[in-house]
Amino acid sequence: MAAFVKFWGTRGSIPTPSSWTRVYGGNTSCVEVRFDDALFVCDAGSGIRELGKDLLTRKPVPKELHFLITHAHWDHIQGFPFFAPLYVPGMKIRVYGRHAGDDSPYRLLSGQMTSNYFPVSLRDVDSRVVPDYLHEGKRDIQGVRVSAFALNHPGGCFGYCLSKDGKKVVYATDNELEIQAGDVFPDQTDSGPLRKMPQELIELARDADLLIADAQYDDEGYVARRAWGHSSCFSATDLAIQAKVKHLVLFHHDPEDTDRGLDQKVLDCQHRATRHGAPMVVSAAREGVELKL
Amino acid sequence: MMAYIFNYMKEVDATAIIISTARARRRHRDTRRHSLEQIEGDGSPRVILLEGDELIIGRGNDAQVRLTSKSVSRHHAILRVRGTDCTLYDNNSNNGVFLNGVKVHSAVLRDGDAILVGDNEFIYGEG
Repeated sequence: MAAFVKFWGTRGSIPTPSSWTRVYGGNTSCVEVRFDDALFVCDAGSGIRELGKDLLTRKPVPKELHFLITHAHWDHIQGFPFFAPLYVPGMKIRVYGRHAGDDSPYRLLSGQMTSNYFPVSLRDVDSRVVPDYLHEGKRDIQGVRVSAFALNHPGGCFGYCLSKDGKKVVYATDNELEIQAGDVFPDQTDSGPLRKMPQELIELARDADLLIADAQYDDEGYVARRAWGHSSCFSATDLAIQAKVKHLVLFHHDPEDTDRGLDQKVLDCQHRATRHGAPMVVSAAREGVELKL
Repeated sequence: MMAYIFNYMKEVDATAIIISTARARRRHRDTRRHSLEQIEGDGSPRVILLEGDELIIGRGNDAQVRLTSKSVSRHHAILRVRGTDCTLYDNNSNNGVFLNGVKVHSAVLRDGDAILVGDNEFIYGEG
């Protein structure tokens, strides 16, 4: 069994094309997760445009795609109308709700393709885009166990856990860990003890090969944007340490984050993990990087 | 040419539209040469300029960047140039390819990236 994760969009809030985002990328959230032939697309931010072009060059071109959308904010859906496979006959795109009859993610994607926003309706595309469902937040899809779980973000948000044959990926972006943990954000010093993290989330991420976690801010940035629905990278690190994750990927970079700043964030979080004796790799999500689990 | 234009502007109506012949002379990224600077391991220090659109790093006799370390597979890693980007691939090596300390399957490279192949370290340059 082969499992791969590729980052197509790593930025939060708004696309940020710039000379200082060239390394980590300026496109908004989109992550491809593959377990053998099962291909999942986590979020449809502006990064999905490049994913779509790439999919059509593969041999064979995948004909069935499973979409897991976290929530409706623009940076997670805005790229969908520009996803080239939408316009390819024979392509089937399943957009999953969290329970039977929950077609809200499908309606979100189709709703932004009405004439007020975009000239082509989802009814007029050549592919088949259909709503599909998890069952009470869980389902086996092409042999991959998929489960959804609630995160703390204004308006609501869901994370996803995907696993098969002992390999596990957790996608948990747009989440404010500090408030989710009970609003116990006491220390802003790297030398402090591990922060209290929500136990349910620790169990969900337990022993994951890869945790892709919201880490939009550092501590200083977090204090200035409290209750905005995003986390400090140090809180994300503490979650990963307590869940004994093998590789933490800092995700949903702030539009103001420079490549230099993200390099430093990685160093600081890796230092924190080392100080707590965690044998964990820390990196920052970067467009065009593919990991094999 | 610029002196001529300035003199012209002094002599005629300063608000007149000036048609400049100056044009950008960019070094577009798809014309720049990608490079690897080997700073650790067998053969270092050396600078390798990428010729063509593909380069193999490995222990095999046909590798363009040939390394002798036993930690290196015969065709360990491949660099491919497509358009403006140079992409690094782990070619199913035994010990993996590391980008800035992280094991990767593939990655679009950026200036200054550190690549580890076995015990050989390279710094990628965008040119």
